[in-house]
Amino acid sequence: MTSTTPTPVSAVGRPQASATRAGRGTRRRVRKDLLRSRIAAWSAVVVIGAFGLLPVYWLLATALSTPESTFQFPPKLIPTDLTLGNFTALAENDQLIKYMINSLVVASITAVLSVVVATYMGYSFSKFRYRGRRSLMHLVLASQMFPQALLLVTLYTVFSSFGMLNTYSALVLSFTTFTMPLCVWMLKGIFDTIPDALLEAASIDGASRWRTLHSIVAPLAAPGMIAAGLFAFVRGWNDFIFALTLADKEKQTLPPGLVSTYIGEFQTAWPQLMAASLVVSVPVIVAFMFLQRYLVGGMTAGSVKS
Amino acid sequence: MSTAAPPQKAPPPRERSGARLSNGAFALLLTAPGLALFAAIIFYPLLSALFTGFFRQDLRLPGREFVGLDNFAYWLDGDFLAILEQTLIFTVGATLVPFVIGFGLALALNTGLKGSGFLRGLFLFPWVIPGVVVSFLWMWIFNANYGVLNGVLMEAGIIDESVAWLGRPGTAMLAVIVTKTWASFPWMMVMLLAGLQTVPKELHEAASMDGAGSIRRFFAVTWPQVRGVASIVLLLEFIWNFQHFDTIYVLTGGGPAGTTETFATAVYQTAFKGFDIGRATALGGLWMLLLLLLVAVYLRITERKGDA
Repeated sequence: MTSTTPTPVSAVGRPQASATRAGRGTRRRVRKDLLRSRIAAWSAVVVIGAFGLLPVYWLLATALSTPESTFQFPPKLIPTDLTLGNFTALAENDQLIKYMINSLVVASITAVLSVVVATYMGYSFSKFRYRGRRSLMHLVLASQMFPQALLLVTLYTVFSSFGMLNTYSALVLSFTTFTMPLCVWMLKGIFDTIPDALLEAASIDGASRWRTLHSIVAPLAAPGMIAAGLFAFVRGWNDFIFALTLADKEKQTLPPGLVSTYIGEFQTAWPQLMAASLVVSVPVIVAFMFLQRYLVGGMTAGSVKS
Repeated sequence: MSTAAPPQKAPPPRERSGARLSNGAFALLLTAPGLALFAAIIFYPLLSALFTGFFRQDLRLPGREFVGLDNFAYWLDGDFLAILEQTLIFTVGATLVPFVIGFGLALALNTGLKGSGFLRGLFLFPWVIPGVVVSFLWMWIFNANYGVLNGVLMEAGIIDESVAWLGRPGTAMLAVIVTKTWASFPWMMVMLLAGLQTVPKELHEAASMDGAGSIRRFFAVTWPQVRGVASIVLLLEFIWNFQHFDTIYVLTGGGPAGTTETFATAVYQTAFKGFDIGRATALGGLWMLLLLLLVAVYLRITERKGDA
């Protein structure tokens, strides 16, 4: 088969060759190639799809099953006795609702704080040139790669000595350690897209630097600021280790709250835990649907999510 | 030098009134709140952690006592190598496996399958849901008594009796890596797909016309274009996994018999279960030195990419 096709060199040298019989052979081979790659592509999608999506199916199936049918072995792959009981039980659990409110409060404050602080810093990095700027930028980038578990040990002693354990402030501040670097880099990237000429025009018109930032640049960057805020919110909402350690039942957020509610030493309430897990995931999934557009850019710039 | 003033790059005409600060000072002022926060909640705690490693300090007791290198010796004479080895096994496994899967999927989706946009969104799900939920879900799948994995394998006749995947030294690390793989392959897929989409289609067609087989085309056309993204993705994931905590802590807590103990779980358990802050921070210090090396490599590479 290869003997009928032109060698690479000749094909490059004579693009007209496609009119000949050999050219038709090439086309046939290319079409066959295409078919083969289609088949390979679909097999990859199916195999990886099974790995990627079957667990999600199991999450849903368990959340909709009765506790009795969960403790059956081998498990029924297609649940027959569907129920919403696990979800209604959630809504009636006051402690879980408290965790959820804590999560909302802490993640929201974290998002606002991170965005406000990161806006100034990102603007400074993007629009000004000064000594030490690059080092500061690298410090910010590197800071999100420090080991969290170690940071937590000393944050715990620091918060403890200030009597701040079990407070919203401790959670917000500790969340900021991983949301702020990300916001700074995302916002710098967004300010980079705003042309300098606009700032110059504003200053010619007599606007002060503060005014330029607040009334001209910020509104333009608002969609990006919202995206950064959502990222920060999601990261705060998802955090497990800081909330687990720095807060008790009163101030704890949902992720560690689920552990203390459902994971017992001997028996775990799996259907309820799966239902609660879905509920925890909903705000995050909604946020990401809005964030689709920023996903790749934000990830390359800020390198989010560990 | 002082005589001929160099032709100044005309600074943008800033405001005439109230221009008390130079631009540099103004820019630094903007960074001040951020820097203050960074100093208070990241740099001060980390520096104090490095310092604390030289003391005997109990979380439950006030005060501390200088013990020199005792805490470091405790680890270096003890479990340090085992923990390093386990951390590396987890890190390499949880980096390479999702990379291969994510790359495969990205290549597949990049061939222009029908509905690839929808599929891309669907495959993001495992990455988007909270990490703790990922851990819960797989804990349930791996469950020794009622887990669906055991159920399916037994029905298929692959195993004869239930396996305690998370409770056996031989399988616990594997289970943890599978879980982390599930959570991170979509991210790699998105990044690599973005890289792949920058490869002009014509290049492939031309190479194909020239008789290059698919493997040859991959190495001659595709790989050079995505090499940059691939190296960043791999390195970042490596750094993150090197300090990853949640999955391991929820699934195994470092057990069974310490076979999934990594730096992250060991530091955490030593501090909050053993109450030994001195030893925890000593191990943390050793860990951070290794991480700093990785971060230095990362900065080198991003630097070369020439960000402004």
